[in-house]
Amino acid sequence: MKITPGGVVASEWTKFSSLRSTWITTGVSAFLLIAFGMIASASFSGSEMSAVDLALGGSTLAALAVGVLGVLLGAGEYTTGMIRSTFAAVPRRLPVLWSKSLVAGLAAFVVMTIGAFVAFALGGAVLNDAIGSVSLGDDGVLRALFGAGLYLGLVAVLGVGLGMLVRSSAGAIAILAGGMLILPGLAPLLPNSIADAVTPYLPSSAGSAVMALTHGDGTLAPWAGLGVFALYVAATLAAAAYRLRKADA
Amino acid sequence: MIEVREVTKRYGTKTVVDHLSFTARPGQVTGFLGPNGAGKSTTMRMIVGLDAPTSGEVLVNGRSLRNSTAPLHEIGVLLEAKAVHPGRTAVSHLLAMARTHGIPRSRVDEVLRLAGLEKVAHKRVGAFSLGMGQRLGIAAALLGDPAVIMLDEPVNGLDPEGVLWVRNLLAGLAAEGRTVMLSSHLMNEVALIADHLVIVGRGRLLADTTVADLMTSEGVRVVTAAPDALRSLIGGPGVTVTSAGAEELFVTGCSAREIGLAAATRGIPLFELTPQNASLEEAFMDLTRDAVEYEAAR
Repeated sequence: MKITPGGVVASEWTKFSSLRSTWITTGVSAFLLIAFGMIASASFSGSEMSAVDLALGGSTLAALAVGVLGVLLGAGEYTTGMIRSTFAAVPRRLPVLWSKSLVAGLAAFVVMTIGAFVAFALGGAVLNDAIGSVSLGDDGVLRALFGAGLYLGLVAVLGVGLGMLVRSSAGAIAILAGGMLILPGLAPLLPNSIADAVTPYLPSSAGSAVMALTHGDGTLAPWAGLGVFALYVAATLAAAAYRLRKADA
Repeated sequence: MIEVREVTKRYGTKTVVDHLSFTARPGQVTGFLGPNGAGKSTTMRMIVGLDAPTSGEVLVNGRSLRNSTAPLHEIGVLLEAKAVHPGRTAVSHLLAMARTHGIPRSRVDEVLRLAGLEKVAHKRVGAFSLGMGQRLGIAAALLGDPAVIMLDEPVNGLDPEGVLWVRNLLAGLAAEGRTVMLSSHLMNEVALIADHLVIVGRGRLLADTTVADLMTSEGVRVVTAAPDALRSLIGGPGVTVTSAGAEELFVTGCSAREIGLAAATRGIPLFELTPQNASLEEAFMDLTRDAVEYEAAR
C-alpha cells in the first residue's frame, strides 16, 4: 500500500465520475456547443464565415460551461471541506493538482471533440442555403474540429487551476467569465493601434484561432494561437501550484 | 507516535499555538483537552500537515508526514468540520481516498461495516445526520489501517450508543499498540477513554499528566476539637493547612491516613476526616480558568 501517480489519477477520476454536478455540467457544455452551432448554421447567411466556423459557433458559451466544470472540481474541494480528506491522503498536494487537471482536461477533450463532430454533422444538415457546404476531408476541417476539443479541454484545465488558486467557486467563475468573455469586449475601448496588437493575444481570441477555418490579419495562426492559450493555462497552474505549496490548506 | 516539538503558530499578530510540546505514545489513548479557542484544532491541522507551523516541528512516527510514501497508513484523521463533498455517496468518498494508495475495495466495505454505515453506503453524504457524518469520518480515518489515529471531537453529535462505540473502538485500537489521540473540550468525556492527558489553554501547555494524577491533586477536610494542636502537629514543608471554620481545617500535601495516624498518637479527637477529590471537571476548570478565551459574564 502506497501512493502512486496512477493511484492519484484514479482517485481524481473517482471524484469526477461520482458527482452528479460534473455530468450535468459536461452535458450542458456539449449541448451548448451543438445547439448553438446548429442555430448559427441554420440562421446565418453572411459571406464572411464558413460552415465550420458556424458549426462551432457555440464554442464561446461551451468554453464558459466547460470552464465552470473545471472550477467546480477545483474550488469544490475547498468549499466543501473535502480538501482536508484529499490532503490527508496526499500530503504532497501537487500530484492532486496535476491529476485533477489531467482528468478534467481529458474528459472535456473527449466529450467536446465528439460534440464538435456532432455539431459539424448536424450543422451541415441544417445549413443555410447561402453558405457553401464543407466536407470532413476539406482543408483544415479536421484540424478545426479536433482543435475545438483541445481548446475546450484546456479551458477545463484553466478552470481547475483557477479553482485551486482562488479556492472559491464564485470568485473563480468571475475571473473565468471576465477573462474569456468580458476582456475581448473591452479591447475595442483601447486606442486602435494598441487594440489591434493586443486582441489576438487575449485568451479567448488566441484559443479560438485553432478552430477557425478562415483566419484574417486580426488572429494568430491556428497552432500558435492554441500555444498562446496553453501558456495562459500553464501560468495559472503554476500560480495554483505555488499557493498549494506555500499556503495553509 | 506523534511528537509535537516547540510548535508555534501565528496568524498575523495572533499567536494561536505557543511553544507547545508533547508526545502521544503508542498503546495509549491521549486526551487533548482545552477550552474552545485553545488551539486544539490548529495543532491537529499542523500534525497532519494542513497548516505549517510558524516555528517548531511535528513528527508522525518519527518523520514528517510529507515524506511518507503511504500517509494513510501512518495516520488516520477525523477533523472537526465535515471533510466530505456532500454530493458524493459514502462509498465513493472512501473509494476516492482508497485509490490514492491502491487500497482494495474490500477494505472500503470493511470500514463501512465497522462504522455501521452499510445501509447508507450508497446514500449521498449531504443527507447524513451529524452522527452519521462522524461515523463516516471515523471510517475514513481507519481506511489505511493506520499506526496513529487522531480524532477531533469524535463524539460530537453521536447518540449514546455511538459514544459507547467510539469509546470501545478507541480502547481496542490502543490495545493493539496503536497511538490514539482525541480532542475534546469536555473533561468527563475524555476521562472515560484516555490514559494520558494533554491540557492546553490559549495555545500553551497547561498540563501533561494522567487522569489519576489530576484527580488526586486535591486536599483533605478535617474537623477537630483542637485545630491549633493538629495544625502544629502536621505542619511542615510541602504541607499547607488553612482554617476553614472554628473547628475545621483544609490540608493539602498530606494524606487523610497520615493525618488520622498523627492525631491518634497525640489523642486529638477528630470528628471528620474527608479526602476532597475535586471532580475532574473542577480540576480541569481550575487549570484552564485563566486561559479561557471566551467566557460568560458572571
